[in-house]
Amino acid sequence: MRTYRRAPVDFVRGEGPLLWDADGKEYLDFLTGISVCSLGHCHPAVVAAVQEQAGRLMHVSNLFYTEPMARLAERLAESSLGGRVFFSNSGTEAVECAIKVARKHAHMRGIAAPEIVSFEGDFHGRTYGALAATPGMAANEALGPMLPGFRSVPRDDAAALRAAVGESTAAVLIEPIQGEAGVYPISDEALLAAREACEESGALLILDEIQAGLGRTGSLWAFEQTPVRPDAIVTAKALGGGMPIGACIAGPAAAEVLEPGDHGSTFAGGPVATAAALAVLDVLDDPALLRRVRELGAELRAGLEALDGVRETRGRGLMVGVGLEDGIDAAAVGADLLERGLVVNVPEPGSLRLLPPLLVESSHIERSIGLIGDSLLGLSRA
Amino acid sequence: MRRKDRRNAPKPLASSTAERLATIVEAAERAAAEVIDDAEAQARGYLEDARSEADRMAAERLTAVADLADALATEVEDFQSRADRLLALLAELKAEAGGEPPPRGGHLKAVTLSAEEENGGHPPERGPGTPAGARLLATQMAVSGSSREEIATRLRTGFEIEDTASILDAILGPED
Repeated sequence: MRTYRRAPVDFVRGEGPLLWDADGKEYLDFLTGISVCSLGHCHPAVVAAVQEQAGRLMHVSNLFYTEPMARLAERLAESSLGGRVFFSNSGTEAVECAIKVARKHAHMRGIAAPEIVSFEGDFHGRTYGALAATPGMAANEALGPMLPGFRSVPRDDAAALRAAVGESTAAVLIEPIQGEAGVYPISDEALLAAREACEESGALLILDEIQAGLGRTGSLWAFEQTPVRPDAIVTAKALGGGMPIGACIAGPAAAEVLEPGDHGSTFAGGPVATAAALAVLDVLDDPALLRRVRELGAELRAGLEALDGVRETRGRGLMVGVGLEDGIDAAAVGADLLERGLVVNVPEPGSLRLLPPLLVESSHIERSIGLIGDSLLGLSRA
Repeated sequence: MRRKDRRNAPKPLASSTAERLATIVEAAERAAAEVIDDAEAQARGYLEDARSEADRMAAERLTAVADLADALATEVEDFQSRADRLLALLAELKAEAGGEPPPRGGHLKAVTLSAEEENGGHPPERGPGTPAGARLLATQMAVSGSSREEIATRLRTGFEIEDTASILDAILGPED
């Protein structure tokens, strides 16, 4: 089905921050498959873990325990909120689990018609539950009717969020940094308002860290650089280093809500994907690496802000949005950069999104700034 | 003639050969015994040397391990002290703002510090300049490995707190 507008490139090989197309042309990848290949392409530790596990045991279903799954659940919980973990095959499925947790938690509190509140600009996924919590896409009537029980307030509007959260609220489900919208960090004030509103109403605060988590912002979890602790987080993308896996991590307040029969998945948490994720965490959960992410992020943003045509940069760590000056066609810049050998993304008119590998080097940062500067200069002259 | 006195008769050839052989065997046995004695003495010497070398190496290792253990113990004490301080702060923040303390380092037991102790003997600040959120932010950033400067920057930009020293000192300890 034609569900994507694909760029006219056929990638055949990747190594670290580099990609090569079928004609042998080299690209610097500052998108990493939308933050999936955060360790770069074909990281040797991930490749070895996948190969070893694929030769040992590939699947038994969730009717049984496997060692990689148990170890990964323990590691995810210990590094974040404690509690319990549900594995999925993707981010959107992790959100589905979070929605079930929130709704059942609300029913247990006697709420008959629970609601989930999100910010405009949030992106939580494309399955129907996650879609309903994604205001921008839930408005697509051609896909209706949507799942009921979802509402949204303007992005970063603390007062509107407080007003929207009430007795029937099951959860506030938000991204701490909106990725698909163009990289917009939610303010400390709005996050605190969400936390306080949840405390007052008994609702759960669920942070969607599918894109912002796992080292992308310079801490293992994005919430660690915010003034709040959520009740649950959802993660995916970088977790498998390229293997499909997601997880909903429920802290103590929500860990015991789901019971056998409430939720499930045939493939989720399989030995190969979880072995890959353990290898990813072995590399990512390293203070020196995370500090380097913060330093390189600052270097990237400073370099970009010095370019003609760049109005602002947004984000944290190596999750960077680039606001271009009015009149510059971001789509044209994105296409031109691809021609020049730099892979980026255009999430909204007027913005570029950069999600480079977390193991990128200063030389790659300099190269990307040079290419973006050349592109902006070239297009302004055209 | 058949029963002749044979005492003065010359020794028969067979007897003389047997004696010679016995002498040779006896000499060979003596030589072999000497070789064995030498070998045993040498082996005892080697063993002695090896034992001394092993004792010397073991003593060196023990000294190195003891030094390492001392260094580790110092680091562990320092880490324990910081972890206790962080956990105590988190416990207070939990009481102030709700939520659960982080599981990282959850195997450590929190010590009970009074707010005054945390704040260098001064009463805790509760004004709008140091809300619980700012302290939780600083604590979470410290736990996740952010530097003093990084935390101070976030406190200034996110909470407009200019004097970040009291929060940072409470969490990270006084600056050297």
